[in-house]
Amino acid sequence: MIPASSYLLVALILFCVGLYGALTKRHAIIVLLSIELMFNAVNINLVAFAKYGLFANMTGQIFSLFSITVAAAEAAVGLAILISLYRNRSTVHVDEMDLMKR
Amino acid sequence: MSGQYIAFFILSLLTISGAIFMISFNRVIHMVVALAFTFLSIAGLFILLEAEFVGLTQIMVYSGGVSVLMLFGIMLTQHSKVERSEQKPALRIFTFAGILAFFVAVFYGIQKTPWSQEAVDYSTQNNVKEIGVQLYNNYVIPFELVSVLLLVALIGGIIMAKKEADDE
Amino acid sequence: MEILANAWLIPLFPLLAFVIILAFGRRLKESAAIVGILANAASLVIALLVFFERFAKGAGDYLNSSFEWLTIAGHSITMGFEVNQLNAVMLVVVTLVSTMVNIYSKGYMHGDNRLHVFYQYLALFTFSMLGVVLSPNLLQLYIFWELVGVCSFLLIGFYFYKPEARAAAKKAFIVTRIGDVGLFIAIALLYWWVGSFNYSDIFAAVNSGTLLSWQITLVGILVFVAAVGKSGQFPLHTWLPDAMEGPTPVSALIHAATMVAAGVYLVARMFELYLGSDIATNVVAYVGGFTAIFAASIGLTQRDIKRVLAYSTVSQLGYMMLALGAASAAGYISGTFHLMTHAFFKALLFLAAGSVIHAAHTQDIFEMGGLGKKMKTTMIVFLIGCLAISGIFPFAGYWSKEEILVATLASGRIDLFIAAVVAAFFTAFYMFRLFFLTFTGPEKVPQGVQVHESPKVMTYPMIVLAILAVVAGFINTPWKPALGDWMTQGMSFAHGGHESAPFWVTILAVGISLLGIFLSWLMYGKRSISNGNTARAFGPLYTLSYRKYFIDEIYHAIVVVPLRALGKVADLFDRYIIDGLVRLVASFTYGVGAAGSRVQNGQVQGYGAMMLVGLVILLITALVAGGLFVS
Repeated sequence: MIPASSYLLVALILFCVGLYGALTKRHAIIVLLSIELMFNAVNINLVAFAKYGLFANMTGQIFSLFSITVAAAEAAVGLAILISLYRNRSTVHVDEMDLMKR
Repeated sequence: MSGQYIAFFILSLLTISGAIFMISFNRVIHMVVALAFTFLSIAGLFILLEAEFVGLTQIMVYSGGVSVLMLFGIMLTQHSKVERSEQKPALRIFTFAGILAFFVAVFYGIQKTPWSQEAVDYSTQNNVKEIGVQLYNNYVIPFELVSVLLLVALIGGIIMAKKEADDE
Repeated sequence: MEILANAWLIPLFPLLAFVIILAFGRRLKESAAIVGILANAASLVIALLVFFERFAKGAGDYLNSSFEWLTIAGHSITMGFEVNQLNAVMLVVVTLVSTMVNIYSKGYMHGDNRLHVFYQYLALFTFSMLGVVLSPNLLQLYIFWELVGVCSFLLIGFYFYKPEARAAAKKAFIVTRIGDVGLFIAIALLYWWVGSFNYSDIFAAVNSGTLLSWQITLVGILVFVAAVGKSGQFPLHTWLPDAMEGPTPVSALIHAATMVAAGVYLVARMFELYLGSDIATNVVAYVGGFTAIFAASIGLTQRDIKRVLAYSTVSQLGYMMLALGAASAAGYISGTFHLMTHAFFKALLFLAAGSVIHAAHTQDIFEMGGLGKKMKTTMIVFLIGCLAISGIFPFAGYWSKEEILVATLASGRIDLFIAAVVAAFFTAFYMFRLFFLTFTGPEKVPQGVQVHESPKVMTYPMIVLAILAVVAGFINTPWKPALGDWMTQGMSFAHGGHESAPFWVTILAVGISLLGIFLSWLMYGKRSISNGNTARAFGPLYTLSYRKYFIDEIYHAIVVVPLRALGKVADLFDRYIIDGLVRLVASFTYGVGAAGSRVQNGQVQGYGAMMLVGLVILLITALVAGGLFVS
């Protein structure tokens, strides 16, 4: 049997890579992608707990479904914001998006 | 058992390497493609965890939907290829140190936690049917709420993109 | 007994006037004067009733201290009022002079924009002084004493837009404050040793020997220090001449009835205490005597009409102290008697001087001259005042001054007696110098100035005071000392203490004054002796007197300059050490803030990194707290 910690470790590595990308990449689309990656890492955890958890049951899978849905909605809206921003400011770079400060 | 191990090993390797490639590539298109690999491998991991329905959803939503959506986004926003893709080094190092600390703390936590040694066996039941039963019995209200959320996201996305078009 | 019990009404009227003018002053404008006059007149009427009732045969003191003010650890401090012989007289003097000044001011201050403010201060001033007089204990006296000081500050600085007036007001306030500290210490010591603020308790302690003699001496000197400050005795006299910067009616009030009288009144009120200490009385007598001759010698050469009068006040107050220092019934009587007569003729002189200034628009006596032809009334009343202060028979000053000389002689202080006689000579000389230079001789007032007699509202009060300056002396003549007998009733010391005066004292006193007048006539009336030559003949002495013995300069050098240097050092310390520390802290905080604000750069990813750090810290904390790292 594959131990639960193996899945958790994979998820942790994915999460860290996603976090790094989200915090350091300048391209807004990459940032969005990195956030998706972090979502996926969480989903792996949820599904792994559904099988190996202390009170393992289907809820983990159901929850991951919801999470996927929310992530999809987030991707759509995020992209819409991005495109509208691009039209106004002609940039997709996160470090140039500091309108609130100016 | 060993087959499972091998499958897990390959899939997790693909997943992590896809993510690493995504981070290290320079061109945005390549990044998206690398990420699509990661999403597919994660779907494989789900199936390995006997969550077939979630795995298929993963393939459809992420590999199919999100990746394509991102490709469209890249095409719609023109950008030059030569510019610097990452933030200033100071912030990068700072972030990297933070993430490392985070990783060490959580890794240590995972290692120290006594996980239960037995797994639930889902192979005997129909995964899709079981999810359907659960969804329509115990999670009706969240399910409906999610549908509303999707609708809002749909309309919001359209308005966001369209409003600016009017202004031009 | 009815009126005596209602004596508290006397200070109430000025207070009422103060409140009314304070509230409606702007609307009342000139009619504020009417309010002030009416209130003072009402007080005067009651004061006279009180005086006559107290004067009547068989009347005793009225003491009412029923109002309990504070109770601290079993000791209750009461407030109230009392009426005895001394303050019955004082009440009349204060209210009378104050009323006259109020009436006079209506003419003098006519047209001033801040007339209502002036009357407001006057009313408060009168109220405070009446409060001082009526107080049955030292604490209450101290409160009113300070109020008097505040009012004098306000009134001297009435023309606050003149820098000299501001400086004079500050000087008056600060210099008298030195004396007030003495009084405060004395009160504190008395309460410590006696356990009461009431005069009666203190005197009882003195008489019964509860207070040791050194304690009596100490308290006596401290109280005298307060009187020195308020009554302008040497060495704290410097504020009084400067106080001339205020409006002239105020000078009259300060010099005659309220401010300076407070000091003499205090010593007189504490007279029973002084009887217990020879040293204290010696101090009082010698300071008084020295001040009398010292101030008189300065008065000889001053050119400003009001300054001459101011130094004469200082000198006359010295006389009163000298009399009180004689520590006998005669001294007590003559001191208070002189306080009363002096109040009348000095108020008169000041009001007349004000009238002259009002007409001539100058205060320099060498720029006046020949005013007598156009200001007959003023000239006559001024002459009466001069005669009274010089002690010419039968004017008021004669009786009181002769009493003082007799009392001094009787106390055996021949040196002081000589000083007093010389001071009397000086007084006669400079008063008539003033008179001759102002009212006789050729006219010197520039053509543009229309010299005219003052309006009736100003002359009538002067006439009233002039009459009093003539007749007030008859209340206490050597062959019928009505006031003296009455004043000493029920006092612990010998009753009726009128010393039999050797006749030569009278001859000497009047003669020396006449001599002074004659000399002054020679120099300034007939001008057979050139005053310029005289000044040259006395060269250094003249300069010394004209520059007031350089007292102001000495104070400046030994007090003001070192204090200013100290202030400078403290200022530098504050500016560079204290402020430096503050600025260090400020710049440190500023630096931290600047560093913090550089983080707030609007970069979402920077914020995200910060959040991550926070998350890590929380996580590690939670893990440590959860016992995960404890293997």
